[in-house]
Amino acid sequence: MGSQGDAKNGGEENMAAWLVAVNTLKIQPFELPSLGPHDVRVRMKAVGICGSDVHYLKTLRCAHFVVEEPMVIGHECAGIIEEIGSEVTHLVPGDRVALEPGISCWRCSYCKQGSYNLCPEMKFFATPPVHGSLANQVVHPADLCFKLPDDISLEEGAMCEPLSVGVHACRRANVGPETNVLIMGAGPIGLVALLAARAFGAPRVVIVDVDEFRLSVAKDLGASETVQVSTKAEDVAGEVDLIKKAMGEAVDITLDCAGFTKTMTTALNVTRPGGKVCLVGMGHNEMTVPLTPAAAREVDVVGVFRYKNTWPLCIDFLRSGKIDVKPLITHRFGFSQKEVEDAFETSARGGSAIKVMFNL
Amino acid sequence: MADSAEIMVQKNGGEEENMAAWLLGVNTLRIQPYQLPPLGPHDVKVGIKALGICGSDVHHFKTMRCANFIVKKPMVIGHECAGIIEAVGSEVKNLAPGDRVALEPGISCSRCDLCKNGRYNLCSQMRFFGSPPTNGSLANKVVHPASLCYKLPENVSLEEGAMCEPLSVGVHACRRAQVGPETSVLILGAGPIGLITLLAARAFGAPRVVMTDVDESRLAIAKSLGADELIQVSTEMKDASDEVVKVQTAMGTGIDVTFDCVGYNKTMTTALNATRSGGKVCLIGLALSEMTVPLTPAAAREVDVIGIFRYRNTWPLCLDFLKTGKIDVKPLITHRFKFTQEGVDAAFETSARGGNAIKVMFNL
Repeated sequence: MGSQGDAKNGGEENMAAWLVAVNTLKIQPFELPSLGPHDVRVRMKAVGICGSDVHYLKTLRCAHFVVEEPMVIGHECAGIIEEIGSEVTHLVPGDRVALEPGISCWRCSYCKQGSYNLCPEMKFFATPPVHGSLANQVVHPADLCFKLPDDISLEEGAMCEPLSVGVHACRRANVGPETNVLIMGAGPIGLVALLAARAFGAPRVVIVDVDEFRLSVAKDLGASETVQVSTKAEDVAGEVDLIKKAMGEAVDITLDCAGFTKTMTTALNVTRPGGKVCLVGMGHNEMTVPLTPAAAREVDVVGVFRYKNTWPLCIDFLRSGKIDVKPLITHRFGFSQKEVEDAFETSARGGSAIKVMFNL
Repeated sequence: MADSAEIMVQKNGGEEENMAAWLLGVNTLRIQPYQLPPLGPHDVKVGIKALGICGSDVHHFKTMRCANFIVKKPMVIGHECAGIIEAVGSEVKNLAPGDRVALEPGISCSRCDLCKNGRYNLCSQMRFFGSPPTNGSLANKVVHPASLCYKLPENVSLEEGAMCEPLSVGVHACRRAQVGPETSVLILGAGPIGLITLLAARAFGAPRVVMTDVDESRLAIAKSLGADELIQVSTEMKDASDEVVKVQTAMGTGIDVTFDCVGYNKTMTTALNATRSGGKVCLIGLALSEMTVPLTPAAAREVDVIGIFRYRNTWPLCLDFLKTGKIDVKPLITHRFKFTQEGVDAAFETSARGGNAIKVMFNL
């Protein structure tokens, strides 16, 4: 492996991490498609692991997406342009780029109205049956590759993907300089939501979690206050009071980055009349929640699916220093069979592991 | 108990004693004297002429509570009303005795952040006709702020004026859900609220409206009021996925906005599953407090859930819709009663029955 020449990929055989069975990733050859006129070939340098990648590894599915045949894993990535298609004008070989994973159709009404994240024909890295990007190289549309400023690292470029989730949630929930924000959950998504909320100008951000360590990370990242909560439903009323005290003022917007019955119940009860609850986390599918009392206070529930048009803003936040994602990268691994296995095990463990990053 | 019509008391400057329908206990309404507060400089005194019964009035009547509102002492019932100005306070410029007006029930504080930001319907100090402890307006006369009394156009009747209140719920919901000429609308429930939501959605330009209900006769009324397609549904949760397919097929295109005018697990589940990605579900019906619903899959398709509490700034638009004929509420008034003890008892019984009784109206 590695000794076969392949003219397409500049002479080396392209390898990728394939999900071949439950809990089974194998580094194997990954043949790239030929370069279209609007495509670029990118050498992957940094790939982060997402909760969804771990979910696929452990169950071969995520929501209604089912892995039916071997699939390359990974989607949070950045790399260096190796080759550009004949119609590509804004990128050249050597450019460092962050990649937006999803290729939409650009013909349907969703795409044409700017909600391309909802495109029914979306082809998204590592959402079956589309191959992901934990590989030496990938071929991707040039318009989904965003050039990184010189002072932004490739790891930070890879972080644009999870950060985009936080940015999109803040946009949909209208976070701004007058909105006090509550974030449920201080995992990787809660933490990028915290960074995004601060960047959007939220004057006060309170964050809750069951885990003290994650709350301390949140505090370091700029949370105004943290509250440790339990997993027990009967504690909701008490926690609503604690949160209100911690915020000091009314909670305008709650971002539920956990997505469980208890967190949504807390969110619906604690948010002020006329406020918004944004459901980001996907913990529970069906929930028994006090929806009516919240609706009768005009607390709206806003959903998010991935993101749209977020890379330029993320890169701007990173470049200006308004957001620093580097503290979220807690573990690093190289691209070998053993390290791929260790990396996923570390990420699945959670706890002190926030973002696990591959350096290729 | 003396016959109210025979009591003449030298109060109110020689006028007859003001009587109202008081809620005294479960299932117990009594017409009794109702002493009015003095007329403030910005108030008007209104002789109530038309008053409709709302589901919340019936709920207070039957249980002495409605959500968090508990009736702890006798309270005058009723809030959907219109009447004729009898007297105006010293600072009132835009109304005169003899003017026919529709009344917006709720007096907000005007000082809190919500009021100052225009969301006065959410004011925590709101005093609303017939929401305990604030007395309602099923009475000969009430005193009310002039700014909450809206002059009726010549061609709009007092009964239509009283209908502005339920109609306002539909109008506010259509605004919050952004109904317009490009939004296909699904309405779950063809009761009084479902029907006025239908009228409002059409007035806002919705190109296609599909409605569901368990009751065939209510669906027939919806059809006569302009619904494009009607789907009869069941109360069984197991039928939900079939019904989602039926309503989507009936709509033809993606469903942009769904109004749940019922508020049960099944209707919210249907709404969340049937609405297209990026669409909105507006929860108006207040049947259940806690619901078991597939919220996450809907949120992951960016289907937003919009809540409604009463209305704000809706009377001028309602009156305009009625004046121009864009909305005709008259077919919704199915039963009429007089303001007597028997009339009050019969009216509430009729309204509570539901079925072919849509809006029960008092003529005073």
